[in-house]
Amino acid sequence: MANRQLTFNIFRYNPTNPKDKPHMQTYQLQETEGMTIFVALNMIREEQDPSLMFDFVCRAAICGSCGMLINGKPRLACRTLTKDLPPEITLLPLPVFKLIGDLSVDTGTWFRHISLKTEAWIHTDKEFDPRAQEERMDNKTAYDIYEAERCIECGCCIAGCLTANLRPEFLGAAGLNRVARFMVDPRDKRSAKDYFEVIGSDEGTFGCYGLMACEDNCPMELPLQQQLAFVRRKMAWAGLKR
Amino acid sequence: MSLVRTLGKNPRCDLYLDLAQMISGILLVGFLWTHMLFVAVILLGPATYDSFARFLDDYYLSYIGIPFIGLVALVHVITVCRRIPSRYQELWEHAKLVRHTDTWTWLFQLVTALGIVILVMIHVWSVLTGWPIEAVKSTERMTSFWWFYIALLLLGEYHAGFGLYRIFVKWGWIKRKTIGWVTKTITIIIVGLGLAALWAFLQLGGAV
Ligand code: SF4
Ligand code: SF4
Ligand code: FES
Repeated sequence: MANRQLTFNIFRYNPTNPKDKPHMQTYQLQETEGMTIFVALNMIREEQDPSLMFDFVCRAAICGSCGMLINGKPRLACRTLTKDLPPEITLLPLPVFKLIGDLSVDTGTWFRHISLKTEAWIHTDKEFDPRAQEERMDNKTAYDIYEAERCIECGCCIAGCLTANLRPEFLGAAGLNRVARFMVDPRDKRSAKDYFEVIGSDEGTFGCYGLMACEDNCPMELPLQQQLAFVRRKMAWAGLKR
Repeated sequence: MSLVRTLGKNPRCDLYLDLAQMISGILLVGFLWTHMLFVAVILLGPATYDSFARFLDDYYLSYIGIPFIGLVALVHVITVCRRIPSRYQELWEHAKLVRHTDTWTWLFQLVTALGIVILVMIHVWSVLTGWPIEAVKSTERMTSFWWFYIALLLLGEYHAGFGLYRIFVKWGWIKRKTIGWVTKTITIIIVGLGLAALWAFLQLGGAV
């Protein structure tokens, strides 16, 4: 399939330039062996248009900065091979997040806000003793925490989520997954009631419509349906008990 | 959230609304399926159908059942309305921009909901004005308005099937694949039953 002539329709807009208007720009590129969208974008920038804006750091699905809409689906550019796509490829920035320019969006501010809102750190009153041996944790718990921690904050689950698009305050799958991570952690002393105050509403767990765009789009294949359902059950129980 | 909204709101309000939507939804699905089973009694012959309808009537089951289901339906409509975004323009834009199957099934569920509300009102009105239920009257209705009932059957089953699927997905009691498969199978059976009943009515219509 290599050696195809690829056509890229790329969203162009620089919000800092008052004269600029959002538009689509077309580029032609010869496909090469093992080409990813990351490689293609770099070639376009180097050979055709140095003004093209997009984000990358790791190019190995670790940093989560290269999320974009690839033919309408939220994907990591560094992980998407052109050979899996038709010869005409449309690239748009991820919705929901603040647009920096062209394909580049600011996911950092959004995720920082979520971390602060859900207080995504261990809440404990135990004094830390650096010389004491670390407390043990059973394997299953450790695994569950690790599973949730695999999130790379790429924002694909947020961009594909209808609720997150319509409701700016919605925590989204990544946010609720974060909460689930602390719920299973025995070191965190927060009660279900404490969590309910933060996420027991339509801005949190009950705002989810259950469309599973999050799970279908997560490049790390996190078990988001299970995480969302776990949080929902726990919060429903906490809300009903009192 | 603003101060006024925070003060004026019961903190468990969203939970209660969500539960009310789910419970009313499950009750309605249950009703829909029993309803289809009841209608399918026609397959056993018009005499059985009539005596079954009379049985429900004699023991006041119809008089308890119909208002109760009406109430449940009202609760469902009210609690579901909050899910409909006021800016439906954005809804449409999102669905077009981000390609995702479940999002489209959900959008179509909104559309079917509207259709169901209208068709059900007509259906209930026509049944109640022709009370009691008898095979002869049902046959008449079915033969003249078979397209109406096919539409109602398909819309209702689509909405119920995917609604139930979504409830299970949201609460995570069963695996997503399994529940999708189960709801689809049941839906096909019920639609088949409905069509068979319709066919029986049409047959009767020709015979009468
Ligand atoms: S399942 Fe919930 S969180 Fe996931 S995409 Fe749908 S509405 Fe958003
Ligand atoms: S949950 Fe998945 S899709 Fe969402 S931010 Fe994390 S890695 Fe990305
Ligand atoms: S560049 Fe880091 S995830 Fe794609």
